[in-house]
Parts: sequence; C-alpha cells; structure tokens
Amino acid sequence: MRFITFIARRVVHSIFVLLGLSIVIFIISRIMPGNPARMAVGPRAPQYVIDELSRQMHLDEPLHVQYYYWLRDALHGDLGMSLVTRRPVADDMKEFFPATLELTLFAGFIMAGGGIFIGILSARHKDKWIDNLLRIVSYLGVVTPSFIFAIFFLLLFGMALNWMPTMGRLSPGVSPPPTITGLITVDSLLSGNLTAFFDALWHLILPGIALAMGGLAQESRITRSTMSDNLTKDYIASARSLGIPEGVIMRKFLLKPSLIPTISILGLDFAGTMANAFLVEVIFNWPGSSRYGINTMLRKDLNAIAGVVLTMGVVFIVVNIVVDIVVGLLDPRIRLAPQRGE
Amino acid sequence: MRTLRVLSAMMVLALLVGLVASCASPAATPTPTPRPAAEATPTPPPPPEKTILRITFSWPTYIDPAVGSDFSSSSSLCNLYDTLVFPTTEGGVVPNVAESWETSADGLTWTFHLEKGIKFHNGSELMASDVAFSMNRMLEIGEGYAYVFLGTVESATALDDYTVQFKLAKPSGIFLISLVRLYIADEEQVMANVVTPGPYGDKGDYGKEWLLTHDAGSGPYKVKEFPLEEYLLMEKYDGWFGTFHPNAPDEAKFIATTEPATIRTLMSRKELEISDQWQPVEALEALGKIEGVDVAAFPSLTEFYYMVHTKKAPTDDIHFRRAMAWAFDYDAAVALEWPGTQQSQGPVPALCAGHNPDVFVFHRDLDKAREELAQSQYADQLDQYPVEVHWITDVPAEEKWALLFQANMADIGIDVEVVGTPWTAVVEETADIETSPHIVTIYVSTDFPEAGSLLKVRYHSDAAPTWSQNEWLLDDELDAMIDDSLSTVDQKERYAKYYALQDYIMDLCPSLFLYDQIQKHAYQSAYVDFPAARGEVIPLMGLNMFAARIGVTGP
Repeated sequence: MRFITFIARRVVHSIFVLLGLSIVIFIISRIMPGNPARMAVGPRAPQYVIDELSRQMHLDEPLHVQYYYWLRDALHGDLGMSLVTRRPVADDMKEFFPATLELTLFAGFIMAGGGIFIGILSARHKDKWIDNLLRIVSYLGVVTPSFIFAIFFLLLFGMALNWMPTMGRLSPGVSPPPTITGLITVDSLLSGNLTAFFDALWHLILPGIALAMGGLAQESRITRSTMSDNLTKDYIASARSLGIPEGVIMRKFLLKPSLIPTISILGLDFAGTMANAFLVEVIFNWPGSSRYGINTMLRKDLNAIAGVVLTMGVVFIVVNIVVDIVVGLLDPRIRLAPQRGE
Repeated sequence: MRTLRVLSAMMVLALLVGLVASCASPAATPTPTPRPAAEATPTPPPPPEKTILRITFSWPTYIDPAVGSDFSSSSSLCNLYDTLVFPTTEGGVVPNVAESWETSADGLTWTFHLEKGIKFHNGSELMASDVAFSMNRMLEIGEGYAYVFLGTVESATALDDYTVQFKLAKPSGIFLISLVRLYIADEEQVMANVVTPGPYGDKGDYGKEWLLTHDAGSGPYKVKEFPLEEYLLMEKYDGWFGTFHPNAPDEAKFIATTEPATIRTLMSRKELEISDQWQPVEALEALGKIEGVDVAAFPSLTEFYYMVHTKKAPTDDIHFRRAMAWAFDYDAAVALEWPGTQQSQGPVPALCAGHNPDVFVFHRDLDKAREELAQSQYADQLDQYPVEVHWITDVPAEEKWALLFQANMADIGIDVEVVGTPWTAVVEETADIETSPHIVTIYVSTDFPEAGSLLKVRYHSDAAPTWSQNEWLLDDELDAMIDDSLSTVDQKERYAKYYALQDYIMDLCPSLFLYDQIQKHAYQSAYVDFPAARGEVIPLMGLNMFAARIGVTGP
C-alpha cells in the first residue's frame, strides 16, 4: 500500500515537473534568434503577411500572455500549428512519435537482452579472455556515437553486402497495416498482416541495433560490475560452501540483486535514446519525432518545439516511474523499508 | 526466480525474433517463379514493369501553388501543375496553357487565350476562371511566389471560358516570363476542400490544409502518396495535354534526405536515379566512381555573393570595399569548387538573360588593393575596425571561403573575424540595418531567368530588410533605374538598361562576386536520360527536375 502511495506521489510530482519544463522550453524557444513568422512564410513575403501570422501566433504579445494562450490550448489537447508542416502539432506527433517509439522499443529490447546477457557472460568468466574481449567491445560501444554505427551498418550491410533495407519503415509495394497503435509491427500482428510485420522488423534491425549499441555496452558493463561485486558477498560464499552448483548460484542468488542498477540505468538510456535518435533517423530516413524535433528547432517552429520537448518529458517521467516499479518488485527492501520503521 | 524466468524469456524471444527476421525474405525484391516448360493455352504477356524516377531533395516541400517557392517545392509544382507559358533552355518562354496572348499599347493589359480541352487530374476542364482564381488566391495569401506579382498585378479576370485578362498597376517587361511561377489550380476542387473558419474570411483557409498533401493541378504527374516528412510520390497522368519523353517514368518519387552515406548506398543499389544538388564535392567524387553513375554539372542561376554592409564602418567606405575586392583570391575560391566553376562576372550570373558580358570584373591585385586602402578613412586604424564575416553553418562548406577571405585580407592588414551563423539567425539579423554584419556569404538564385528579377531582390531598397540583401545600399537612383528597367516592355531596351545597372553596381562595389554556382547531381547515366546532363538546361529553379522530360529505362 505504501508502495502504491509512493508511486502515486511520483505521478503528482511529475505534473509539476512537466509544467516547469513547459515554461523553460517556452522561454528558450522564444529567445532563440529568428522570427518564426518570417521563416514560415518565406523570406520574400511582404511584411503584412508576416505581421498577420505573428498576430495569429500571438508573437506580438508579451511572453507571459503568449504562454497563457499556449497553456490554455495545450490543456485542451491543442498544441498549435507547426510552421514547418503547416498542420497541427498534435497531428504531427501522432504520426511521427510512434515511429520513434517503435524504433526505441526495439533498441531497448536489444539493450536489455543483449546487455544483460553479455554482462552475465563476462561476470561468469571474469578476467578470462572472454571477459577481456567483451570489455574491449563494450568500451567501443560506449565511446562510439550511434550515428557512426548507423553509417557503418548502412555502408556494410546496405551498400557493400546489399543484405538489408536502408531507408523507411516498409519496402515499397508492401501494404501498410491499418493504423491502430502507429507501431507497424504491432499493428501488423493485430491485423494479421505477417508480410508487413516481417518487412517492418527487417527495416528495424539496422537502425535499432545502431541505436542500441551504446546502451547495450553500458548495460553489459554495469551488469558485469555489479555481479562481480556481489560474487564476493558472504551469502554467495555460504551458498558455494553448501555445494550449490555455480549455475544455480548465478541464476537464483546473484542475478536479481545485480539487475537493480542495470534496470535503473536502462530506464535513463531508453529515454535518452529516444531523444538522441535524430541522426540515426536522418541516416535511415526514418520518419520519427526525433528528426522532426531537430528540423523544427532549426526552423524555430515554436509550437512544434514545445510539443516535441513535452512529449519527450512525458516519456522520461513514465519511464522513470516504470523503472521505480520494476526496481521495487526486484528489491523487497524498497517495498518493505517503511514497514520496518514502524 | 519468477523475475529471472521473465527476463530469460525476454532474451530468448529477442534472439528468436532476430533469427526469424534474418530468415524472412524482404518483400522488396520478389524472385520470379519459374515458368512451366509447355503450356496448353497461351497466357497474355505480363504487364510492363513500372519505371520510377527517384530524386533526393532538401525538405520541407510544399505543393500548394500559392505557398511553395524553394527548390524542392518548385520541382514538385512544375510536375503537378501547368502554367500559361513554359520556359525554354534559351531563357525565353513558349506557349503552354496559353496558346496566344496580346498586350495593350501601354503594357498595362495582358490578355491570354487558353488552349481548349486541357483537363485537371480530376477530369474537369481547365478554364480561364481557374487561371484568374490561381492568381487572386496567390495574391491574397501572399506567400510563395506572390512577391513576383504583388504590386504589379492589379486584377485577374476571366473574360470568357478561355480568355483571361490581367491588369497591371504599372508596365512590366518581366510580367510574361514571371508567369512561369503562376501554377494553375482547379478552383472548384480547391474551394470544395476549404476548412472554415480560417484566416481568409468566407474563404476559410483557402484550401491550404487540403493542398498540403493533395494537388488540384493538370500537370504531367499527380500526387499518389505524400507522407509529409518522408517523400512525395507522384504517378503519371496520362491525360496530360503535353508531350512526354518516350521513356518518361510512370512514377516520380522525391525523397526527403541529403545524407551522403544514405545517398551513396541508394545509388549503388540502383534505388536512386538522381541525387540532390547539396552533396559535398567529396561525396560527388565517390558517387561518380559507382558503376553506371555520372555527375551532371551544369550552370545555374545561382551566384555566391559576399554581401558587404555599405552603411557600417569600416565597410561603409568605398575605398575599403574596393581594397577587399582587389585583395580577394577569386581563382583560389573557384578552385575550391567543382571543376568547371567560373568566377562571377558581375552581379548577375552569366547564364541569366540580360547579363552584361563587358561588365568590369575584379581580380586579385595586392598593389591595387593597398592603393585603395590607403585612400580609405580607416587606413590608419585598421586594428580598431575588424571586419566580421558571417557564413552559414547549415552549409558547412562555406567556411572554406570565409577562411580564404580571412587569409587574403590579412595580406593587406585587414583583420577579419570568421563567425559561423545558423540560417535562422542570418534571416533575423539581416532584417535590421543595425544587426546586419559587415559581410554575409549567401548563395542567391533568381526565380526566373532575367537579370532584372535578381537585381531587384539584390539591390532594390524594397528588398533591403531581407536575407537576399545585406548591402543596405538604399540608393534612390539605383532604385529608380531598377524600376525603370523592369517596366520597360521592349526587350532590347530593357537589356540595355540591365547592362547599365550592372556597371553602376560595380562602381559602388557593394559586394564581392565569387562564382556562378554549378548545379551538380549524381545520376544513373546507364539508364536515365537526364536532359540537363546533355546540356539542355532550363535556367529556372526546379525545372530541370521536370519528370515528363526525363527518360528512365531501368534499373
């Protein structure tokens, strides 16, 4: 019950975090150089056209008045018009966000599964050649930006070997499934369109792995490090002295407590990956919200900037709450600690 | 324990899915099924495979004829819509939707007679009322190419079904050629899709929302799919009244990417026919090495300018400006570009009609530079007057020329600060005389192939607070000369005035004229007939991507 209260409190705090975030991004976007109205209507439009658009966007009002109008509309689900796409930002986010979410979920899956697996392997064979080899690979993964991996995979698997598709979410000629969630893989399964499902998965592999490499390397190092530390604990020595097989010790007594820092970092990595997917989306021409966000920032598309940043903020908050829940489930001390004080 | 099982299951599932996906054949390239050795009944031949022309572009693209005006939009619009007249490779125009026209003696009334039977993509016939509607709509919205007509066109009226009349506020020698930017939309279809309420009163949004992703044109291609940030896919319109290239593609796809690695991959896989014009030199060289791929390089109506602020110390001094013009190494600047690039000959690109071939041209001469600098009021205070050069960071290659300029000016003792500036900041700072820097380096294109249109946006006072002019000349005599030349209907007389204008501008030395840009596109020469690559260049932005004139026979 106290755990539920804890989570509920986090949700309430999150509302204030989002409010603060909206104020900060609102101010920053408006003090950036560039007149958005001028950028939107073209550099040779007459002044009266620029003035009219400025009036429609309330750009001629004081900052706090502009914020009031924006907040009022946002609370009704209206994030305003995008000056780049010329349509409601809400429509843009409905179209582009699922693409980034799908890519990031796929990358998250690889980060979690691959990172934990490699971490366990490294811890199991600590200081042996496997561990040393995986250490080098992990360091490469941590220091190399995702776009470098993206270009490398593109040129190797897309150009040199011609094995993989190199752009978009589906091949030309493949009928997309009806939009239910916006995630093509999920929508394909829900509508029974296996051709689209496998084709979409095929398109996810290169950008997904490129995006996951950094996080995968990080997760593997953290898992390995935590498991190595826990291996020296007394309870492990006790388990060994009782003759329990090493494999059982790893699975039953070691993995669960070792995963707590990994899960915590995974949450941050997941949210960070979503925000930083821009270059990977550009390289693979992936129509996601990360690329859309950067394009709108370069063109000072005020409403779209606010929409994208707030969406990312919500994702961060949700992911952190989920991480807290998962960690609470993994570690009973977190759930039981308040009870012990009574 | 349960947690471990769940995590293990997730890992296994991930691996399995990855394995299954790697085994699944991508649907993009189906393998043909073998035919049986003998068949009792003859089967009809399979339909010919559709050909597609794929071109990459810098985005966004607006296909609303009253909104779009950049390169990708102009390239799209010319494929989706028709115009009254069509540009030629010589820089003139020929009849298109209009089969003939006449103008009144005072040049204020233009009457066009339309060809009958031209059909829009929805089957309805193109009438004079659609032409008048398209002009009036563009003027009212005020975006895109409206600036070409604002202040010139007073009214557009349909006299009957096939006759449309324009009344001008003043005579215009460039009115006819400017009609290459009036894209004719189906009035009925546009108005049937307006959203109300909107900013245009009873016209609601004037169809702007619908025209974001649809077309109301009669051009050789029509919109098939347009996911906004991905690509524009157009399909051939067999009812087009014009003449297609015998191998004109069945589909044309404009793809929203300029990423060099992506383009190189697509080109090598034969999944891209023509690249965009923004590929760096190194990327083009790599593309040219792909089998079957060549680089088409042709002159454009784009010139690379160093726009010098004539109202800000020390560049407000004409001797200072002339000193810079004499000190700059134009040959070195040109060498940094694609082979075949030429130093600009004055303020107007050489390809542009009305260019003065005898205009004075600066070249590097340090003695003359020092002579001019000695006459400058800032000669003894150079250390107190550094010159700031703002280059646009969105085009990283521009930094090279800025650094060259810095090195050249150091030879005569002028301090130069090189500042990389984002495009949005450049647009903002050049809108005000106080915030405009000493020098901004920008490529400027003329929207239609005549010197007057470029000279107006570059040097007329009306255009001073825009990015296309950082000089702030604010010269009444120059304004009058430009207005007079543009209102001269007789072409020979008009061109003579253009020549005089160019001489006048060179005397003022308000800019450095670096080079006429060569437009470069990698293309699949093995199976694409690209007229521009053969030298048949239409000197108008976007028109060299007119798919109806491009042949595709592969891959």
